[in-house]
Amino acid sequence: MRETAISQTNSPFKHSISRYFAIVLLSILLVSVTANAQEYRSGWDVVNSGVTSDLFSVEGEGEEIWAFGENGIVLGSQNSGATWTQMESMGPSNLSMSDSGFGAFLAAGRDGTVIIKIDSGSQWEDISFDAGEEDIRGVSLNGNSSVVIVGSNGSIWKYDSGSWSDYSISGVDLLDVSFLDSERGIAVGEEGAILFSDDGGVTWDYRDAPSEASSSRIIDVEFYSDIRAYAITDMGEVMKSSREISTPVGFLWNMQYFESEGGSSNLGVNLTSIEVATTNKFLLSGTEGYLSMSKDGGNIVNRQMIPLDNLTAFNDIAMLDGFRGIAVGSNGSILITERAGEDEQVGFEVRDFSEFGNFVDYSKGMLIDGLFATLNIVLFGIFLGFFLGVTLSMMKTSPTTLKEVAQKRSLILVRLFGAVSFIVGFMFLDHLIPIIEGLGLNGWEYIYAPIGIINPGGITGDLQFENFAYLILGVSLLLLGGLFISANGKYKKSELEIFGRTVIWNPWGVRPLNFIATIYTDIFRNTPLIVQFLFIHFGVQIGALIGDPLAEMLDGSTGLITSFLRDDVLSNRACVSAIFALGLNSGAYQCETIRGAIAAIPSGQMEAGRSIGLNYMQTMRLVIMPQAIRICIPPMGNEMVNLVLNSSLAMVIGYSELTRKAKLINAVTFQVFWSYGMVLISYFIVTWTLALILRYLENKTRIPGLGISGGN
Amino acid sequence: MESVLSIVDMHKMYAGGVHAVRGVSFDVKEGESVAIIGSSGSGKSTVLRCINRLIEPTEGEVMLRGEMINTPNADINDVRSRIGMVFQSFELFAHLRVIDNITLGLRHVRKMSRKEAQAEALEVLEKVDMLDRKDAFPGNLSGGQKQRVAIARALAMKPEVMLFDEPTSALDPELIGSVLKTIRGLADEGMTMIVVTHEIGFARDVADRVIYMDKGVVAESGESSIIDNPQTERLKKFLSSISEED
Repeated sequence: MRETAISQTNSPFKHSISRYFAIVLLSILLVSVTANAQEYRSGWDVVNSGVTSDLFSVEGEGEEIWAFGENGIVLGSQNSGATWTQMESMGPSNLSMSDSGFGAFLAAGRDGTVIIKIDSGSQWEDISFDAGEEDIRGVSLNGNSSVVIVGSNGSIWKYDSGSWSDYSISGVDLLDVSFLDSERGIAVGEEGAILFSDDGGVTWDYRDAPSEASSSRIIDVEFYSDIRAYAITDMGEVMKSSREISTPVGFLWNMQYFESEGGSSNLGVNLTSIEVATTNKFLLSGTEGYLSMSKDGGNIVNRQMIPLDNLTAFNDIAMLDGFRGIAVGSNGSILITERAGEDEQVGFEVRDFSEFGNFVDYSKGMLIDGLFATLNIVLFGIFLGFFLGVTLSMMKTSPTTLKEVAQKRSLILVRLFGAVSFIVGFMFLDHLIPIIEGLGLNGWEYIYAPIGIINPGGITGDLQFENFAYLILGVSLLLLGGLFISANGKYKKSELEIFGRTVIWNPWGVRPLNFIATIYTDIFRNTPLIVQFLFIHFGVQIGALIGDPLAEMLDGSTGLITSFLRDDVLSNRACVSAIFALGLNSGAYQCETIRGAIAAIPSGQMEAGRSIGLNYMQTMRLVIMPQAIRICIPPMGNEMVNLVLNSSLAMVIGYSELTRKAKLINAVTFQVFWSYGMVLISYFIVTWTLALILRYLENKTRIPGLGISGGN
Repeated sequence: MESVLSIVDMHKMYAGGVHAVRGVSFDVKEGESVAIIGSSGSGKSTVLRCINRLIEPTEGEVMLRGEMINTPNADINDVRSRIGMVFQSFELFAHLRVIDNITLGLRHVRKMSRKEAQAEALEVLEKVDMLDRKDAFPGNLSGGQKQRVAIARALAMKPEVMLFDEPTSALDPELIGSVLKTIRGLADEGMTMIVVTHEIGFARDVADRVIYMDKGVVAESGESSIIDNPQTERLKKFLSSISEED
């Protein structure tokens, strides 16, 4: 009682101590904050345009810049955008699009108003024409006084040497056009339309948009150079086309996936235009104050701070070189930059990466992100691999032969089944023959036929896995059918004389499940993992095939696990591919490991299980597998450690796991020894933990008297 | 008496071309215990394994209570659950405790609940005098104890016939006694059984009938008295060779 009393009288004092403690802590915290605040400042500066009307488009060549807007407003600047003067209006139409090049400037309105300024010395000229009912949406210069204009319903006009000609095609609403030189141009439009011309806009051929954008509205295209073109959709997607060996730009278009957006292809903003500064550096503008820039071809897109409010809709950007540029937007807003809009760091200490502490401080976050990404694919890979391994090993050890299958049925039934499967097999192969003939192969080239029949149309065609199934099933059913038709009820093996040697031929001894599993393991164990990664990700595109539909199924669910699956696994295509590549590969190896363990169980165990009346699968599940899994824990540990280490190959498909993060850290810090060293330590921690868990499992599941394991 | 098991003209040709069993026929009556003796390689284990089709006989018929069981259409799992089998090398499930070894078949073949199966298991364990080791793992038991558990495992399924495949050959001499005592107890209770054995003394004392096999055929069969009073030269020779060994 006495003690309680004392503690009660003491309690106010205690309370005040904790209060003092808190105050001291807070003041230490305040003191430790450095005086000069660290902040970012926008890389854009506001310029007075002198107008309040919306500006729609801007073009620059050297020091000379022109901006166009509402009600025919034309603003000019001769000093890289520092000061602007308003020209006399060219009419009441909104000038909503423009182009420059070949020394000339061009602007146009949606009703057919077109003005051109042929060179720096000349004045603006009106070359408007009657567009009829059509809505003009894109203009491009393809010569000093040559213009191509596109619009609704496939309308295409060309202005050359003073007159307009109509080269319209039908059907599709076109939204923009861009010419690289006088001959080559790209036009884009609704429903993922991409057209290409190599005769200066007279004839146009369709090109395929990436399948993800096949129904998108492509609003802007920039034919930047011989090796690169970009296009954007109004949904915030960027697609690009590169020259690939002998295929010129404009043929193959790929959707850009943004690593900075978690691997998504969507920036989540309404884009208005793209401006390409260098091959891999581009700026994007959008509504709601959106300006952004990517320096690596779209992998990382950084949204930029702007010195205006976020209601400003930016309509166009013009870059004078790699760094200087002008953006125009609503209410006469003009911004200029000398650093491609990149945010300026103010008050930041320059990090000194020659000091290990600083380096670790900088890189640890990225490494931990990478570690989680690695664990993500490793865990799912292990589950997939183990499931496959167990299934395949059961299939491989299955004792059922064709003989046993046939023996249970009457001879007539067997022959009937043989005839049916022979006919079905023949039909499958018959379906394939024209496809194989269409491949145009000769002689030994036929070994590549399986690839050809899955994807006869190449990059523009669909993958037809059913053709591969037809091939395998066709051949198997044909052989099986032949065998079953020839059944005479004895199911004996036969001996063949080949070149004087006796060869034992026992087709009835074939175990069908074993056969299937063997094909699977042979394929995956006899090809390099890195090629499997590349094939599964880029070739099969399993993310689009399996990941996207599954993610769609989980759309809208808010559960902790389901939303994790949807956002962090299934919607990241590289992640899905990595999981499948690792899991499918590991499954083949785990199958052999588990099969070895099953083979190590004495056959008497199977006999004992069967003798008390358990069927084969029950005996496998209740008697053989529990013992086999215990035996194969050490080699399975090996296999799982291998899987973790192999996960580093996921970097080749652009999945930002641990090893790739090290590369990214290197790009900033150049501290190669440190970064890779830290990655080594990170891997060691993961695999060592895994090994410890397995060691614990091994001890925990050890059965006295089962196997020689050292100790008791 | 009703014939529980009858074997008619059984042949077994192994894949290598060895003709192990060449036309064996015999009947086993209800409650009868039959001992099959013979030298190694005479085909006695093969006959036993052919009965519950751990090996498929090449020719001949095996009837369990008049029902032909060696056709592809017979429900082999049901047949096996009606025939108990005890192996030379015990073949206990090493990852399961003694009691779980016994309940496994009851739960998954007889579809009993865990509780029922355990009650049943305790009963048979008591019968083979292994109740005190019910929670041990097979690896911690002696050979004789293992074999008694194996017998209990077969007994728990309430089989109509028990097959013993040389139940004592893998045991040390001092451990054989306990196993033989258990089997004798079963015989006294009237369990129908076939025992393949090398224990001539046991065959004489326990078996109602002795079948002597040599080179895949039944060379001599009859009351257990034929051991003391062999009719054929072959059995005489076999018995004398065994007594020389002793």
